[in-house]
Parts: sequence; C-alpha cells; structure tokens
Amino acid sequence: MSGAFVEIDALPRPAATAVPVAAARPSPARRLARALPPYLFLLPAVGCLAVWTYRPLAAAVNLSFFSWNLLPTTPKDPVGLDNYRRLLELPDLWHALWLTAAMTLALLLFTVVLPTVVALWTSAIRGRGRAVYRALIFAPVLVPPVAGAAVWQWMLDPTSGAVDRLIGHPINWIHEPGPAQIAIVVITGWHLLGFAVLVVSAGLAGIDDEYTAAAMLDRASRWQTTRWITLPLLSPTLVFLALMTVLMSGQLTFPLIDTLTQGGPDSATTNVYYLLWEWGFQNFDAGFAASAGLLFFVAFGVVAVGLVRLSDRLTFHDN
Amino acid sequence: MAVADTTAPAPARGGPSRGKPARGEPSAVADLAGETGARVWLRTAVGHGVLAALSLACVFPIYWMYATSLRRPEEVYNVSLFPWPLSVGNYTHVWDVIPIGRLILNTFAVAALISLGQLLVGLLAAYAFTAWRFRGQTLLYLAFVGTWLVPFQVTMLPNYTLLYRLGLLNTLAGVIVPNLASALGVLLLRQHMASFPRDLLDAARMDGRSSWSVLWTVVVPNLRAPLAALSIVLFINAWNDYFWPALVLQRADSVVQLGLRGLFVGVEGPDWGGLMAGSGLACLPIFGIYLLLQRHVVGAFVRSGLK
Repeated sequence: MSGAFVEIDALPRPAATAVPVAAARPSPARRLARALPPYLFLLPAVGCLAVWTYRPLAAAVNLSFFSWNLLPTTPKDPVGLDNYRRLLELPDLWHALWLTAAMTLALLLFTVVLPTVVALWTSAIRGRGRAVYRALIFAPVLVPPVAGAAVWQWMLDPTSGAVDRLIGHPINWIHEPGPAQIAIVVITGWHLLGFAVLVVSAGLAGIDDEYTAAAMLDRASRWQTTRWITLPLLSPTLVFLALMTVLMSGQLTFPLIDTLTQGGPDSATTNVYYLLWEWGFQNFDAGFAASAGLLFFVAFGVVAVGLVRLSDRLTFHDN
Repeated sequence: MAVADTTAPAPARGGPSRGKPARGEPSAVADLAGETGARVWLRTAVGHGVLAALSLACVFPIYWMYATSLRRPEEVYNVSLFPWPLSVGNYTHVWDVIPIGRLILNTFAVAALISLGQLLVGLLAAYAFTAWRFRGQTLLYLAFVGTWLVPFQVTMLPNYTLLYRLGLLNTLAGVIVPNLASALGVLLLRQHMASFPRDLLDAARMDGRSSWSVLWTVVVPNLRAPLAALSIVLFINAWNDYFWPALVLQRADSVVQLGLRGLFVGVEGPDWGGLMAGSGLACLPIFGIYLLLQRHVVGAFVRSGLK
C-alpha cells in the first residue's frame, strides 16, 4: 500500500542531525536560518493547536472562577472557588459520573472483548470468508451518527419497530431508564465494533507466527497458545483500545443521547458530557460548565496516566 | 515488517499486515495439537455461525434503513423483510421537505476542506518531526499527543465565544476553521514518514534542494498511497462529526446532520419514511468512497490505529 521505499530494510539512522557537516562557527544569522525550518513547518499545526485547544483550555481555567451567562453584554462575576464547591455538592454530578463510568465499562465489551474474539476467529478463517465478515462488521463505522440514531430509533420504536417485533415482546426502549441505557451502549458499540476488530486484526497480523508455531510444536493446545502467547503479545493493542474507549466514550455516545433520549428518561442517560452541554448551552452557566469540564480534564489525565502505567507493567514487548 | 520493527518507536504494536500470508492454517495447526478432524470441523462450524450472526446483526440496521426508505410512503409501517413494490416516494418526499441536495453538498464541502486542511497542516508538521532534530521537539510532540486528553467539552465554550467574536457563528467557515489541524493527522503522518529512508532525504538535501522542495518532490510522491488513505479516513471523520456542527450552525438548512435532526420531531412523531430516505442519502457518499477505495481505507485504519 505504500511506495516501494518502505520495503527497504532498516537503514542506520544518523545519530545527531540531518544537517550536513557544518562549517566552523557560522554567523548567528546563519545559525538562526539553519535552526528555523522545522519551526516554520510546525507553525500552522502548532498555531491551530494553540488557538483551538490550549488557548481555550487556559480560558476555561480562567472562566471557572467566574459566573457568566455567555452573553457578551453581561459582565463576568468573579466568584472564586464557588463553582467548584457547588459542583462537588451537586448530586447530578455524581450520578452522571457513575453513569459515564458504567457506560464506559459496558462499551469495553464492544471495543475490547468482542473485537478480540472476532479478530481471533476471523484470523483462523482462510480465504474470502474472512474479508467478507470483516467488511460486514466494519460497515456501521461508515454510518454517520445521526443516520445511525435515526435507523435505530426506527427499529426500537415500541409500536412498529423491527426489534420488538423480532423479540415478540414490546419494550419501550427509549423511554424506560434501563432499556434506554442498554440502547445507547449497544448502538455506540455497533458503531465502534468494526473499527476495533480492524485494530485488533492489525495487532494480530503484527505478531510473529513463529511464536505460535513453536508453541504448537510443544503440543500446547489452541487455547493455551492463545492465552499465553497471543493475548500477551496483543496486550499493547488492547490497552490502546481501552484507553481510546475511556477517553472517547463520552464524545461517542453524545450524538445518540442528544438525538434519542435528550439525557432522559429521568436523567437515566445523562452522562458527564451531556451534563456539561446542558450547563453550558441550556442553563447558560458558563463558569460552572467550565469548572466541571476542567474537573473532567484532570480526571481523564489521571485515568490515562494510570492506564499507560498499567500497560507498561502488564504488556510485554516482542523485542 | 522489518522497517516497522526497527524504525517505529513502539515495535511490539505490530506492523502493517501487508504481504503476510493467512495466519495459522487450521488443519495443519490442529494436527500439531493432536486434534481430531471432527472437533476441528465443529469448531469451524460454530465459529462461522457466530460470525455470520454477528455480521448480520451489524448490517441489518443499514439494510432496514434502505428497505424502509424504498417502501411506498403509506406502507412504511409494513415490516415485511423485502419491500415490495419498490417506490421512491420517500425520497421525493424528503427532497421536498428539506433541501437534502444542498445539505449533502454543504457537508461534502465542509468535510473535504477539513480533511484537506488537516492533511496539509499535518504533512508539514509531520515532516518537521521526521526530518530534523531540534530543540523542544519532544515537548512539541507531547503537546500534540496531549490533545487527546482535552475533552471537547472543555474547549467548546471558549471556542464558541471566539467564533462569535470572529463573526463565524452560523457559518460553514465556523465549522471548518477550528478543525483545520488535528493531532490525529500529525501523529499518523509522522508514523508513515518514520519509515521513510532518511538517506534519501539527506541525499536530496545534499543535492542542494530546499527542505520545501524535498517534501513535495521526494516525500509526498512516495507517500501517495498512505496520504490518499489518510485523507479518506479524515474525510469520513469530518463527515460523521456531529458535536461541533450542531453547536456552531444550529440551522437545519446547513449540513446534513442537522437537517436530519429536524425530521426527528414532527407533530405526529418522526417522519420515518423521510428520515430513512434522508439517512440513506447521507450514508451514500461515504459508502461510495469506501467501496471505491476500500483497500486503502482498511490499510489506513490498520496502520494508523496502532502506531
């Protein structure tokens, strides 16, 4: 898939710089001219990042100490740590946090467990069958979230939906708390499964066949080989998927929550992202929403660092 | 494989699957493990059964969407598995209710500009990271990786107010501009370039060419395939984005995501036929691109997801 160059075998990498041997002591202007290019090439990307990610992050920190209703004409009211205090005392927050954690855990079934099983099975299939299965499982990745929400809402409709007719038992999926939560997780999982299968398959393809062949020669059973050879070698991939799920699950469920349940029924599907959205753009409590967002930012940072640490400890590298 | 293992920073994460033969020939492997033919056959059958069921479950909603959209409008509630007689009534209906053609065109333009911008900006940044060793390199790289940790909801308020001050709220430009650079694009392109032979870069530079011309005459032509693949992935990402367009545009006649959302609410409940037809149309461009360039897309996902 890439040019012929990629196939060239490992080239020794020049140790320090790519710059040809420098003449003795160039003038400062020339040294600057020589040092400048990488920064110039990075300028557009770093500029965008600074303006659209890191500037707003700083602005959010600032905003979290104010009370403000988003209207440019109203002044911002300094309130100190009040937003944070209010936030931590709010039962909604703890409910939403718990719900986000539960939904993320449930999603891991679709982004880690199931994809691993599917990838292992499909990789054992020879010929076209494998490609066909993977293509079919991948198809939902291509469906825009709104279209996915539409068709699922149609299928889950309690009076004429395909799902209730199929199971022969009317369940009001969207308007009952438990079923609504299941629906959000399953639909999100449906969107993600194909991508995760692809990632795990790529991970599998990267594992040297000789390990499994050697284990087979030692008369290890298929299960033993999978458990003690394949899965440990696959663990970096699986940790990567878990990390992505944790970091992205809120974003990924958001379009569904927004179109299908609006956080309901009875805030049964209000996760932290939806809560933030409500605070910021429905209650127009900008300072409050900013402080909540920052709290989540810190929490995610901690979770991510924890997962990376865990992966360093658990995973094993095929060096 | 060799290149991926020696030049990529995380060798164990697996290289591209390119050129690998099919893994574990079941029969040979089973022989080694001393299994009987019947057991292997049974396992294969169960495996195929479960995979087929799962595949069906994944595709069924898509099938159902098109099946419903092709029923006659008055027969939308019919649940026969195959719509008959076929009708384009729902499509003409949705065409009348929302400006679906313009919505799709707008979405296409937005997605194309975003993916193009991300590709261009990412290309320059990735080249900087691969071609030079410079002060602050690690720090800058971490700044890109770090964006994964910043939840969108933290930056949305300040970005929203900035768009307001720039006068870009409710404009397509307001959707495009904040998305012109993506950490994803930079990181993925860096991975692709990492496997580019440095000698070639050095040789080109020794010839006295500027870095700019080396990038466009040496690097880009040789990375054509991964670049094409990545641009498709970025395009799909942009096409499927929901949150930011919903925030910035708020008008139902702007992009297809928001136009469809309008069909959810109606006096007599959602307009199912129109909704399915509109959703089906919204999927078509992506399906088309995917079918045309399927191998590239899979390749890009495979190589990108991991490293």
